[in-house]
Amino acid sequence: MQTSHENTMIASEKEPGLHFYLSREPLILALLSALAVVSFLGISGLSRVYHAQQQSLGNRWFTRGAADLKARRFEFAVNEFRTALLYSRDNYDYQLNLAEALIALKRTNEAYAYLINLWEREPENGRVNVELARIAVQRGETEQALRYYHDAIYAIWPADQEVERRDARLELIEYLLSIRAKTQAQAELIALAENLADDPSQHARVGDLFVQAQDYEHALAEYHLSLKLDRHNLEALAGAGRAAFELGRYELAQRYLEAAVAANPNDGQCAALLKTTELVLKTDPFRRQISVDQRHRIVIEAFAAAGERLKSCSAVGNSRGTNSSASSQENLADNWAKMKPQITEQGLRRNPDLVEAAMNLVFDIERRTNAACGPPTGIDMALLLISRLHEGN
Amino acid sequence: MDDFPNSQTGILIEPGQPETVASLPTRSRGTLLRSVFREDRFFLVLSVFIGIFSGLAVVCFRFAIGWCRIYLLGSGLTLSPTRLLLAPSLAGLVIAVLVIHLFPLARGSGVNQTKAALYIYNGYIPIRTAIGKFITAALAIGSGHSLGPEDPSLQIGASLASALGRRMGLSRDRMRLIAPVGAAAGLAAAFNAPISAVLFVIEEVIGRWTAGILGSVVLSAVSSVVVMRWFLGSESLFRIPAVQLERPSELIAYSVLGVIGGFASVAFSSGISTLRPWCKALPRWTQYFQPAVAGLLVGIIAVLGAPQVMGAGYVYIDEAMHGQFTWQMLAVLAGLKIVATLLSFVSGTPGGMFAPTLFIGAMLGAAVGGAEHVLLPHLTGSPGTYALVGMGVLFAGFLRAPMTSLFMVLEVSGNYSIILPVMVANTFAYVISRALQPVPIFDVLTRQDGLDLPSMEEQREEGVLRVEDAMRPVTSPVLDAEQTLDRAFQGLDEKSPDLLLVRLNPTGWSSITRQELETKIKEDKGGQTLSSVLAGHQIPYLHPDHPLEMALRYVDRWPLVPVVNRADFRKLEGVVSEHDVLGRYRDFGEV
Repeated sequence: MQTSHENTMIASEKEPGLHFYLSREPLILALLSALAVVSFLGISGLSRVYHAQQQSLGNRWFTRGAADLKARRFEFAVNEFRTALLYSRDNYDYQLNLAEALIALKRTNEAYAYLINLWEREPENGRVNVELARIAVQRGETEQALRYYHDAIYAIWPADQEVERRDARLELIEYLLSIRAKTQAQAELIALAENLADDPSQHARVGDLFVQAQDYEHALAEYHLSLKLDRHNLEALAGAGRAAFELGRYELAQRYLEAAVAANPNDGQCAALLKTTELVLKTDPFRRQISVDQRHRIVIEAFAAAGERLKSCSAVGNSRGTNSSASSQENLADNWAKMKPQITEQGLRRNPDLVEAAMNLVFDIERRTNAACGPPTGIDMALLLISRLHEGN
Repeated sequence: MDDFPNSQTGILIEPGQPETVASLPTRSRGTLLRSVFREDRFFLVLSVFIGIFSGLAVVCFRFAIGWCRIYLLGSGLTLSPTRLLLAPSLAGLVIAVLVIHLFPLARGSGVNQTKAALYIYNGYIPIRTAIGKFITAALAIGSGHSLGPEDPSLQIGASLASALGRRMGLSRDRMRLIAPVGAAAGLAAAFNAPISAVLFVIEEVIGRWTAGILGSVVLSAVSSVVVMRWFLGSESLFRIPAVQLERPSELIAYSVLGVIGGFASVAFSSGISTLRPWCKALPRWTQYFQPAVAGLLVGIIAVLGAPQVMGAGYVYIDEAMHGQFTWQMLAVLAGLKIVATLLSFVSGTPGGMFAPTLFIGAMLGAAVGGAEHVLLPHLTGSPGTYALVGMGVLFAGFLRAPMTSLFMVLEVSGNYSIILPVMVANTFAYVISRALQPVPIFDVLTRQDGLDLPSMEEQREEGVLRVEDAMRPVTSPVLDAEQTLDRAFQGLDEKSPDLLLVRLNPTGWSSITRQELETKIKEDKGGQTLSSVLAGHQIPYLHPDHPLEMALRYVDRWPLVPVVNRADFRKLEGVVSEHDVLGRYRDFGEV
């Protein structure tokens, strides 16, 4: 080093000194500038080649990752998206897809790190908000989840904004229903219902959600709309039947359920509901357009069924040894036994007020036994439903 | 800047260059002064060009590393075991041949070579070194050796600056300073952090703050960063997570990180200082295989499940900062990176230690943070915050650059909330590292290479003697310039010294001997005032806080130099003579 240093010093003595350069300063600066510009241009070319290669590699790995994500090979997808990010660290799409793959692998902490970074860059991005909301749901952070879902609903979506917003709201509603926030869910459902397209299946789905939120009036309205668009829509028929049943409109329910069962005889749930509906209609002594004799026969039948129900429930109650329910059932049994001799066709004809008194006792028995021994079946179920129907009267 | 009126002309004398100017005839002096000013200006402009060319070189260097990585290891993140083993080993063989036969000065990190250029070779770094460093470091880092691109960039910048300075025929003083100017440019471009680069060069290479060099260093660093960002974008080396310090009590958690980081720094530097001489002492033929063996061992670490230790590792620092590793994995990675870097560095493979230091620091920080979170779940610091603090900790503990470490974290994070955790943790790491490893790693390396460069850490702590340490009180009478010679002479008695100080109006000092006074009176000039007799015979004066070395410039020519108050130049605080100054130095040396 020293030898070369000495050589240089010797050489520099022969070369023009600083005064030479200072006296030609503008020229030197011009030459240096020219050299800088030429170098700049040269390296710009090199840079273009480099960046093009980086971009191409990034895209290649991203495409592979996207394919693996689609095919649900999440481990591979994560690795490929990470590699893509090696070549374009701040690429929004790469990070978002990586986050989605990580979420699929339940590596939410890692995904969250990427998503929160993306959210800071674009807080109004709908997809990012939805993904963050999902992570918040997984972490049980309700407040955060609701905030991100709401942000997603009002966010900017790259394509098909209305559909994306609707889907985000649907997801929010499902979440609200899952945490039993039914009032909030109903409010969101009403907002959603106003923006639905003319699609029978969408109306039917919203109807289902209204049913889950126990808002049967709105549910029935949605099923109606669905059936208006497609009168054979199976989901809408079954749903409308169920909603009408819950609302106590058994005749309407019967019509829808009959249509649903006719269209799909394999639908066991509808068939069972129809059976109950028919039983309710058949067992209700207060319904119009039945003769007095028929009403009396129904009362006698209902009175007998309630007595049977009380007997079987008392047996169960005795075996369980619950004192309070046992004593109340004993009272009911005494009342039932006292009234029993009068509940004949003749007795009822002689004293028409007995119809109401007998049915009140029946309803009381059904309600108490329901509380003590669990939900009844068959005619007892029908009587319980009828009792609810006439509760206000 | 303190200026002294010259005794002859009253020309302002700048410390560092007064005598040469003063001793020249008036015309030449003016020309030379103009020339000095023009050189100053030219040097500043040249600094901008140094920055531009260094920035361009660093951009090319980054491209080269990227291409080496793609073609040697492959474009994927998951690499084939064959490549993991073969690429660093074969590259190691090629590097060894290149270093031994073509570029012997390319070995090592580059920081010490730049310091050597400043202190030993008058700023001379052959351009061949830059070329060699470029090729060999790109090959090494690209093939997966556990080294970083920052120190080589620093050396490439210094080498380019040196070449440009030589070409322009700069003076020796300027030539000495031009290497650090280029070094700052290279480091700033590699790090994308101009403030840290400037601080590092000042703290570790130059060792002192001087206005003359600071402007050039800043200009070159800024221009190189502008160039680098033009081509590579302004994004930092890793994504910075949100940083917050909610409770001051959490500083205790960061102190723990500082303590652990301090011990890790000692382990790392002890490993290098022990293994490096051992490798160098092996037979010469083994030097052909040392980088290859190191590469093979690094490859084995990668194949066994830790490919993260290969190369600079910024991608993984980013992942650690965003909580993508468990704390156990982070701790393992920190340990393995120390081993991998030790292997790569002590084998003489060209490459830097900045990136590995940051990697180890980030992993260690995030690991300590993660473990603390398990024990104390209420802590609010994110893994990213701990990783950032960890980087500063290793920088302070291992590289022993406390100021740079602080500003580096600050500059990289762009968040002032982190300053307190970094300061606390860095202090612990620095103190522990100093206590257990008295000599900083850069000084260890220079001494192992047989050089004796000034230790910046020792320099920082060296006591500085000042004029007030040597001055003595004034016991003799001080004459007033408006006194006549007769009156002045009458005021003297037998005890008065031979040399008398004269206070001039409105400011300034002069001196006259008793013999001169007698002679002038004999020449019938007794009625004249001292000011008329001493016109143009000013002597320099000093202030008590001036470094004592400044007094050395004057005491050989003026037997008695007045030391005056800074607020009132007519108020005499004391006097110094050559005897006083030398006596003080002698006492200081004995201490």
